[in-house]
Amino acid sequence: MSLNSFKRALWVFHLNTGSCNGCDIEILAALTPRYDVERFGIMLVGTPRHADVLLVTGPVARQMAPRLKQVYEQTPDPKMVIVVGNCGLEGGVFYESYNLVGPVDQHIPVDIYVPGCPPRPEAIIEAVAKAWVKLEKAAAK
Amino acid sequence: MVSLPFWNPSVCIIAFVILVAIIYLFRSRGQKKYKKGTAQTDIFLSGEKPPAVEQRHIRSHNIYWGFFQTLKRYYDPTVRAHTGIINDYILWFIALAALTALILLIASLI
Repeated sequence: MSLNSFKRALWVFHLNTGSCNGCDIEILAALTPRYDVERFGIMLVGTPRHADVLLVTGPVARQMAPRLKQVYEQTPDPKMVIVVGNCGLEGGVFYESYNLVGPVDQHIPVDIYVPGCPPRPEAIIEAVAKAWVKLEKAAAK
Repeated sequence: MVSLPFWNPSVCIIAFVILVAIIYLFRSRGQKKYKKGTAQTDIFLSGEKPPAVEQRHIRSHNIYWGFFQTLKRYYDPTVRAHTGIINDYILWFIALAALTALILLIASLI
């Protein structure tokens, strides 16, 4: 994996669809001085309309399903979706819960999966870097 | 002698051109791949569907909210006086006409 250029920063929107906050804390950890992803130009933004990448955590609670779709539709193309944590992959510890309609890929297309409960910040950073490479390849076409 | 500033239309035109250039610069750096007519151009309300334009705009009377709030002590009695009954309004008219006539009478005597 290699990045050919750093032409522009990568803006990431984080969406919690019913997570226990474990994955969200690890995403936050990636922004702390220990990992400091902002030095690479990876930045969390407050709206999907400014984002290149969606970081989705949580197993998709029933109430969150239409919001998840709305946020996905509001993200400009080209976009990448990263699912962070086991819950978004297959329900995790909430598997078969009565109020879940997940996993995430049943509602929106997912590009990269990051398993773990929660995954380490290094794994999340690697996933975002992979999304960046995919976006660059998509932009080059 | 200090020369006073004067109004010159060319200053306004130059300022306008500079502002337009700055706005154009910002807009040209923006995201161009938005698909018009889709959710990508909708306002973001934490994933909620945005309400209709009529419902999300601030109505014009709200602009005067602070004004009415500040002058509430003045407005409350005047609003109470506006009962909507024509007899009350005629009474107000007669009373004020009598008061005006009295003032004019006193003024003419002085």
